[in-house]
Amino acid sequence: MSYTITINGQVHKTDVNGDMPLLWFLRDTLELTGTKYGCGIGLCGSCTVHIDGNAMRSCLMTVKASNGKKVTTIEGLSKDGSHPLQIAWLSNNVSQCGYCQPGQIMTAADLLAKNPDPSMEEITTALEDNICRCGTYKRIGLAVADAAKQMKGA
Amino acid sequence: MTSIRKDLAAVSRREFLKASGLSAGGLIVGVSLPVSLLGSAASTEFQPNAFVYIAKSGDTTIWCGRCEMGQGISTALPAAVADELEADWARVSVLQGDANKKFGPQATGGSNSINQMLEPMRKAGAAGREMLVAAAAQTWNLPVDKCYAKLHVVYNHVDDRSLPYGDLVELAAELTAPEDPVLKTSDQFRYIGKPLQRHDQADMVVGQRVYGADSKVPGVKYAAISHVPVLGGTVKSFDKAAAMEVPGVVDVVLIPRFENAYGSVGGVAVVADNTWTAQQGLTKLNIEFEAGENGSYNTTEYKKQLVKNVEVPATKEFEKGALEQAFELAAVRHKATYVGGHLSHSPMEPMASLVWVQDDKCEIWASTQDPAGIQKTIGAYLDRKPEDITVHVMASGGAFGRKFKCDYVQEAAACSKAVGAPVQLTWSREEDTQTGYYHSCSAQHIEASVDADGKVTGWLHRAAFPAIGSTFNPAVVQPTAGDLDAVSKHPYGIENMQVESGMAKAHTRIGWYRAVYAIFYGFAINVFTDELAHAAGVDTVQFLRNIYDNNKVAEQQEQAKRCRGVLDKAAEMADWGKKLPANQGMGIAVHHSFHSYVAMVVHVETNGDDITVKRVDCAVDCGLVLNPDIATAQMEGAIIMGVGLALNTEISFEDGAVVNSNFHDYPVLHIGDAPAEMNISFINQGVSPTGLGEPGVPTLAPALANAVYAANGKRHRSIPINPA
Repeated sequence: MSYTITINGQVHKTDVNGDMPLLWFLRDTLELTGTKYGCGIGLCGSCTVHIDGNAMRSCLMTVKASNGKKVTTIEGLSKDGSHPLQIAWLSNNVSQCGYCQPGQIMTAADLLAKNPDPSMEEITTALEDNICRCGTYKRIGLAVADAAKQMKGA
Repeated sequence: MTSIRKDLAAVSRREFLKASGLSAGGLIVGVSLPVSLLGSAASTEFQPNAFVYIAKSGDTTIWCGRCEMGQGISTALPAAVADELEADWARVSVLQGDANKKFGPQATGGSNSINQMLEPMRKAGAAGREMLVAAAAQTWNLPVDKCYAKLHVVYNHVDDRSLPYGDLVELAAELTAPEDPVLKTSDQFRYIGKPLQRHDQADMVVGQRVYGADSKVPGVKYAAISHVPVLGGTVKSFDKAAAMEVPGVVDVVLIPRFENAYGSVGGVAVVADNTWTAQQGLTKLNIEFEAGENGSYNTTEYKKQLVKNVEVPATKEFEKGALEQAFELAAVRHKATYVGGHLSHSPMEPMASLVWVQDDKCEIWASTQDPAGIQKTIGAYLDRKPEDITVHVMASGGAFGRKFKCDYVQEAAACSKAVGAPVQLTWSREEDTQTGYYHSCSAQHIEASVDADGKVTGWLHRAAFPAIGSTFNPAVVQPTAGDLDAVSKHPYGIENMQVESGMAKAHTRIGWYRAVYAIFYGFAINVFTDELAHAAGVDTVQFLRNIYDNNKVAEQQEQAKRCRGVLDKAAEMADWGKKLPANQGMGIAVHHSFHSYVAMVVHVETNGDDITVKRVDCAVDCGLVLNPDIATAQMEGAIIMGVGLALNTEISFEDGAVVNSNFHDYPVLHIGDAPAEMNISFINQGVSPTGLGEPGVPTLAPALANAVYAANGKRHRSIPINPA
């Protein structure tokens, strides 16, 4: 069985086992390691990618289920790190270890695409299940609010 | 990315070092400093401990020997080097040093990097600057003292000539490094004390930061592992054939327990073409384990036993004054017992490493806090010399003390050896949760007396917890006198004291968890102090001021003064004593640990058993703050971890094995439960800089528990308060 998945604009045909989670296809097969493994059961959000424009946990999404879909990973969110969230993450010095941050940013990007002017409460609700063990939550909230402001102004 | 970093990406760091020395024509400054400066054992040996590299183009590379796990050390220390070097930070690239003695001690823990490495690193930068200035002076035929460096250029006071660093490197490279370069005075600092942006964040937000789990080499195979669930247990049987039937599985590797404090507890690994296939193989193994002597470990029962052990006289390890007399003469006496659970570090990046064992070499890419520990452990495992083990220190996706131990590296080495290929081993979250080196569970009993003047006159403290020493030596079955030092030498300076150690044989591996014993000492001492203040009818902040002011112990004067300083600051920040609505309260805690001083006021709102942390005000004295933004981030992170361990997280054992498995039953804090407001202030009481990775953790839980008492009158003496 062969599957076709468009990842960051590039079409990939693969005959890996269709039950393989997209996470491991990205990390081990394509060596796109920006998408992180954290829990494997959809609890932590480190593996968040966009599938047809919606933030999804790639540890819960199989290759089979991704067939024919458009996937965006952190590597494809912008060409050069210029997404307003990526810029806001830097200007707010959000990251400590940085491991969970690709997932945080992908979740936030989905929020801002659907709600360009979120309240702090809406930001917190959207990111409630993205765990950061370093405890960067305060800065994550500020960065998302900053990025929203930038996007509105643009 | 600057160009030098792009070039570096193409070759290994070791190759780069070699190549740059031979052909790039740059200046490499290796500065030898006495080991005594590094705070380690006395030695006459001189070790190069820092590297500054300046290319002919002027592009500059600074190596960080300490390990980066998110705490920002690989920015803070290299920035200090750049400051002394008078380098333009925009032209500096930072590289993580591989395991190598030339970097000095690389083990990164105990919040020690800044105390140990700041001065040697500054000297490395200053030496480079002096050599460049000397090279310019020689070129111009001017006295050295007429020349000076500023932002990558050397100028002189005589005429308007100048030379950029890049033009000076060839001549400078021929000069002898100065033995004792002159350091800047604090008014000359360019980067030290400034909120310089971390060097590594740009890569993080585009998914390009390479962690241990992300390491790749051609031909890599992937492994997953199931561990023996009970310490000292063994693998009885497993169905290798069933796992081998899974397409893509390469091998099944039995890994016996490696009798080494940093070695594997034992288990079975599956090696495959990718991680998921390896995980699938594991599910077919049907492993049966033999539990062994720790098979009845049950933390509910164990903690009850610890409480019993501290509520009766135990092993006396320290005494001073006349405690009995103080108790007899007391106006107020109080006693209480405090309990804490095991904790798991649970960094977001689980244990992972890539190892390639070959006949003539062994190369390792690992997230680690202790590169030399890997060399030693893998050297012992493979029967090779430590220096023959190459360790590339990768970015750690969190560590918190866990990645000091390299059991996951030794297991990857076992897999690589078995299949003859490089193997990337990634533990599942479940294995990470269930096969840790846990923070000790604990019980402490305190009895104290207050005289008619409101002065604390006597303090009896008994503590029982499985000690970290047990992981290295099973004969350790109770806290040692050294383990109790934080109580015996606590800067309250109580005149009449007795400190006792209760029995607590370990039944699991105990490790260093961020702030270590300071977590439960800070909890018990601060909650008890709040109770004592209430019993004496004195406001807790005033009660604490009195304690520090009454401290007459000569060697504790500086500590008492600095504790008092952060206490006053935190109380001021929080407007301590202000009227609060019903069901709200403030609590305070002060703790000195890892050479730094922290006071926190936590403001909570309670609704039944539900506790909301509204605000945290935190005052810190760590001397000179190298980078206020990174320092603030460390305290914010410590607060988040502190709220989690105060309220929710505990590792429990039944039948010898960990009950928790993933983030649903080990619920580290989510964004919605983070304090709505966190205020961090640094007060520099004029002393040399100390570390901040850990000292922020111990004050949160007691300040929170004291706040809950203020809010609703419920006294919590056990953490977590609301276990999952």
